Amino acid sequence: MSDNRLSKAGVACLAATMLVTAGLPAFAQDFKGKTLVVGTWGGDIERLLRQNAAEPLEKETGAKVEFVLGGSGDRMARIYAEKANPTMDVAFVNIYEAPQALKDGVVDAPDPNAPYFKDVWDGMNNGCYAMSLVGLGIAYNKKLVSAPPEWADMWKPEFKGKIALSSYPGSEGDGVLGVAARLAGKDEHNPDAAFGKLKELTPIAMTYTNLDEIFAMMDAGEVAMAPMISGYVLAALKTHPDIGFSFPKSPGPVLVRDMLCLVKNSPEPELAKKFAALALGVKNQTDYAEQLYFGPTNKNVKLSPEVSADVIDTPDEVKGLLQLDWPYVISQRADWTQRWNKEILGQ
Amino acid sequence: MPMPPSILLLLPALALSAVVFLAPFLWLASTSFRTQAEGSLLLADGFSIHNYARLLADPFFLEVLLRTLAYSIVTTAISLVVALPVARFIVTRAGRLKGILLALMLVPLVSGALLPSLGMLHLMGPLGVVNGAARLLGLPTVKLLGTPAGILIGLVQSFLPLMVLPLVNTLARLPGDLEQAAASLGASAAATWRRVILPLATPGIVAGSVLVFCATFTSFVTPQVLGQGHIATFGTVAYQQAGQVLDWPFASALAMVALAMIGLLQAAIVIGSRLSRRQEARQ
Repeated sequence: MSDNRLSKAGVACLAATMLVTAGLPAFAQDFKGKTLVVGTWGGDIERLLRQNAAEPLEKETGAKVEFVLGGSGDRMARIYAEKANPTMDVAFVNIYEAPQALKDGVVDAPDPNAPYFKDVWDGMNNGCYAMSLVGLGIAYNKKLVSAPPEWADMWKPEFKGKIALSSYPGSEGDGVLGVAARLAGKDEHNPDAAFGKLKELTPIAMTYTNLDEIFAMMDAGEVAMAPMISGYVLAALKTHPDIGFSFPKSPGPVLVRDMLCLVKNSPEPELAKKFAALALGVKNQTDYAEQLYFGPTNKNVKLSPEVSADVIDTPDEVKGLLQLDWPYVISQRADWTQRWNKEILGQ
Repeated sequence: MPMPPSILLLLPALALSAVVFLAPFLWLASTSFRTQAEGSLLLADGFSIHNYARLLADPFFLEVLLRTLAYSIVTTAISLVVALPVARFIVTRAGRLKGILLALMLVPLVSGALLPSLGMLHLMGPLGVVNGAARLLGLPTVKLLGTPAGILIGLVQSFLPLMVLPLVNTLARLPGDLEQAAASLGASAAATWRRVILPLATPGIVAGSVLVFCATFTSFVTPQVLGQGHIATFGTVAYQQAGQVLDWPFASALAMVALAMIGLLQAAIVIGSRLSRRQEARQ
């Protein structure tokens, strides 16, 4: 919008006005020289956020967007450490971290009047804004496992020692504990039942930390099944014809969400909100679904039937998923980490 | 009384250390006496020894520290045995190759921990070079990943240069006529090593041992990557507590206890080497 551009005189005039009326909001287009700091995961997520949110935002406002990449634990550590003086504006975290961050006052509560709040399915903006939907299912070796497995199949004797788990703590591990507890007739509020049931899977074949490693072991027949989060896995299956992915039925897949948080008292709140609108917008969420198999939370996203079949993209589908009591789970994290260290890894 | 000029020259370095090392370290020490409020990750008010009590009450953490100590001692010992002949060769026989050999020794140090560890992963993995070759030849495969042996191989590979370099420095300074004198007095090669070279190389041995020991005790990437999550060491547990459980006060306490262990052991090594030198002097 060139007619909205300010002449130099206009800027000087505005600056003078702003000096006099300090505290008035900055002019909408005047973000030159400002930097928005966004903390997120690397790889495809960063690529899509750069393409669909950062670049349009830089064009529109003249600001710069700087990405800080890493795991969500790094970001949680940073926003807590900088609570008094934040330097990060937007932080992407996990389903279980968002309510904790809100409770501890390091992020802003989702604003029910924001358009991007209203575009998200009801009840999902829990702690922060819901960004994408994925479910914990089972990746499996088609040569060893004849049909898409149910959770209970992981406990069959022929697969003893051939089940891999992700490192703990993490949403995969918590999800598996929730499932194990239910197979034992209880739920996650009964950790003894959960750990008792999960211990039956030991010795585990391996603790995986990345997809390449686990898929190589699966292709080699060393691993039969591994609980994994849909999304990347489905995207990676194209290059691994012998590996399948199952969304089990009893119980259903465990719901996992990525959340977008606006850091409380961040340096650039206006830019952060604009970034959130773009990240949660239809274009970015459609790309998330088509390229990463991350289900959209925005109700205005329309997916092709092929893509829709592989992603979690409707409230009905979400109803069929297993939802854990995340605030309770996170409160148990230190104890469960110790139990996992001792009982599951047998250290 | 005016300050001597040499102290003035040290001031910038001291100021930098105070800001980037000492202040964060004191912060870490104080955090180790803090706790997180129930159901919160924020630090609660007040100081307590809760983290230290929990650490000492749970055998798991003590086991982890003792396991790390054992790995550090074994890695130091293996490095010493491997490094002595290498350093001796570089000093006495390498000739023109000396520069190249020293540069090669430096490779693991300048390439960081991650790349060599990932290389080791491809070497030792069940589908890696070693086991792949064994499979092709119909030989039994060796499980190295996720075992202490695998981690020790990785640690020795990573930290060997820290032992070789101080030894090269010390051995290079030994006057050659001492050995000739020992030989002319009828000492065998082994006796010359035991009675002449090793005692005179003690400063290099101590320096190298201290470096390798500290590097091993605090290593994170190698045990994390090669241990496959099966083997908990100080580095992996500190990362788990700080980066995943987000219990920063407890992770701080773990670091302080590890530091105390390292400090005590270093003090023991230094005192021990001084005592043995005094005994040498008396003989």
